[in-house]
Amino acid sequence: MISRLAWIATLVTGLFMVAQYFIKTDATNAVYTTLLDYYQIIFAVSMIVGGIGLLKQHSLKVQRSSQQRRYSLITIAAILFMVIAAVIFGTGAASPYQWAFNNLQAPMQATTFSLLAFFVASAAYRGFRVKSAPAFVLALAAVIVLVGKSGFGEMVSQQLPAIAGWVLNNPSTAAKRGILIGVGIGSVATALRVILGIERSYR
Amino acid sequence: MSKLLSTFSARHLVFLAVLLAATVPLLLNIRLTHTASDETKRFYANINSLPSGSVVLISFDFEASAFAEIKPLADAVLRHCFRQNLRIIGLSLFAEGTALGEQTLSRIAIEKGKTYGIDYVYLGFRPQYTSAILAIGESLPKEFPTDYFGAATAAMPVLSGVINYDQIATVISITDGGMPTYWVDYAVTRYHARLQTVLTATMATSLYPYVSSGQIQGLIAGLKGAAEYELLLNEAGGGGRGLLAQSVSQIAILAIIIVGNVVGYLGRRRKWQ
Amino acid sequence: MAIATLAAAIVTVGIFSFLYRDNPFYRACEHLLIGLSVGFSLVLLWNSVLIPKLLQPLFVEGRLPAMIPFVLSLLMLLRLKSSLSYMSKPVLALVIGSGAGVSIPAMFEARVLRQIAASVEPFGVVGDGSVSALMLLGMLISLVGVVTVIVYFFYTRPDTKAFNGASQIGIYFLMVFFGATYGYTVTSRLTLLIGRIEFLLGDFLHLL
Repeated sequence: MISRLAWIATLVTGLFMVAQYFIKTDATNAVYTTLLDYYQIIFAVSMIVGGIGLLKQHSLKVQRSSQQRRYSLITIAAILFMVIAAVIFGTGAASPYQWAFNNLQAPMQATTFSLLAFFVASAAYRGFRVKSAPAFVLALAAVIVLVGKSGFGEMVSQQLPAIAGWVLNNPSTAAKRGILIGVGIGSVATALRVILGIERSYR
Repeated sequence: MSKLLSTFSARHLVFLAVLLAATVPLLLNIRLTHTASDETKRFYANINSLPSGSVVLISFDFEASAFAEIKPLADAVLRHCFRQNLRIIGLSLFAEGTALGEQTLSRIAIEKGKTYGIDYVYLGFRPQYTSAILAIGESLPKEFPTDYFGAATAAMPVLSGVINYDQIATVISITDGGMPTYWVDYAVTRYHARLQTVLTATMATSLYPYVSSGQIQGLIAGLKGAAEYELLLNEAGGGGRGLLAQSVSQIAILAIIIVGNVVGYLGRRRKWQ
Repeated sequence: MAIATLAAAIVTVGIFSFLYRDNPFYRACEHLLIGLSVGFSLVLLWNSVLIPKLLQPLFVEGRLPAMIPFVLSLLMLLRLKSSLSYMSKPVLALVIGSGAGVSIPAMFEARVLRQIAASVEPFGVVGDGSVSALMLLGMLISLVGVVTVIVYFFYTRPDTKAFNGASQIGIYFLMVFFGATYGYTVTSRLTLLIGRIEFLLGDFLHLL
């Protein structure tokens, strides 16, 4: 019963959204904008469900595992700190909520991603060994972009940035365009399968 | 000590090389001379061509992780927009971009002596980017009856006459991910919005097809893009400051690729023998 | 030194410590980051969406139509109880169905039709003298690239020499794309590293 209702909901809303692209009346627009509002609300609620789920998962870890307990406690404390701080002190520029974001969360996020600089360098050492013709082309394209788009590129030769630009705008763009067209067709096919109930990812 | 040293490997040497290449040039405080690429010049010309008072919607679609790269780009573009006396509507489709976007917009607005509500406004965060982009296409005032700080937007001069994308001269998505593709899918295709993007270098190759198809009208990418933009603006910023460190690090990576190949070749030759 | 800078420096070093090896300091920072990120997003969603779009219209303004998303939200919350989570299926189906519906025309036009057009449209101006030999070469290479990459991903293609050859050429175009993307990715990640070093040497140690 619930599954059938879910499929009907998919079919009706899916077909409506396709039709609405072509048929724009006041009535269809009203339904369409109302639905857009609902999606934002449902998305927000689903994120809250996710947040509560994470809290539950870490609470279980605290109860079960002695080794991981301290780390789970940190996660739980951090979630609760942000929520309670926002409730008590608000979210203004001088609030503890913003302070934690600016001085703990943002620096840690940035540092986590900056670690990737070391790992891509490590990948460069091992992964760019020229053992075949395609591997040579891969390494050559990387080197052209690295040098051509660096600050030294034009100091070495005025032609280097131009060559890098040509590679980026022609063969590289062509490959990405081929991928885009393929992904586009694939996405449309998948969307049709979802609307028609062949693919039921909500199960 | 010897135990500590024995845990170091070739991987750690690579790490050390990258660290030195990124650190030493920063201590030298040298600025590289360079010229602006056609790509950056086109973006600059697009903003320059907008008449004073035109509305620009800037979406801060990034996470805190990429802020080091995004900040000089965003600063330069915001400085240009304010210098041209454009009306700026800021918003964010990413949670972390919301706070950072607000801080960036306010900082540059204060620097340029602009007034909140008259010259710029920050509308805040909307999740579920597809519906947010589509909702702006139907009615921006309805989607954002209040701004980020909870103030009513209806009477704000900066939003006067703005109903949807038709009144917005250009949308600028400042991003570290694939958000411009969603702006293209939903704002450009459906509502014929004009879109430009400011993004981290890593995303550039994925978006060039949209630039050459005309769906994205301008693109600047990475620290080099920021440095080029600062050059065109004739204003110093984070792009020019970090360019030497970035360039030396890029050359270090090139050297690592070469060393990796030499080591690999010697290893293979030893095996053959 | 400001406590804010000190806090940022400590967690920055904590995350960097992973470069040596996984360790308790890094683990603690990692879990702190997860908690703060989740807490930050929950508060933002509550303030930016749930209050203005759901709770205020329903409980302050007394608008009855707001009952619909309120009920849908309650159904979503049932996902937290495994025995009742199936009740949220229609709500998810609503979102997935409309997401699929809204994407069909948009993606087909933006990613398929416009991209095909962009591959062939430049040839329309070849005769008017505005296209140099190098540009024409670029256009031809681009067209070959688009076609051969599509052939490469066409898994049910006939097993003929022509198709397999085209697919092989497609691989080379993909290698150029991946190589170029790698070059740009390295650049990007180095910039993030430079940003953190600038913070440690400048804001924290005042060496810059």
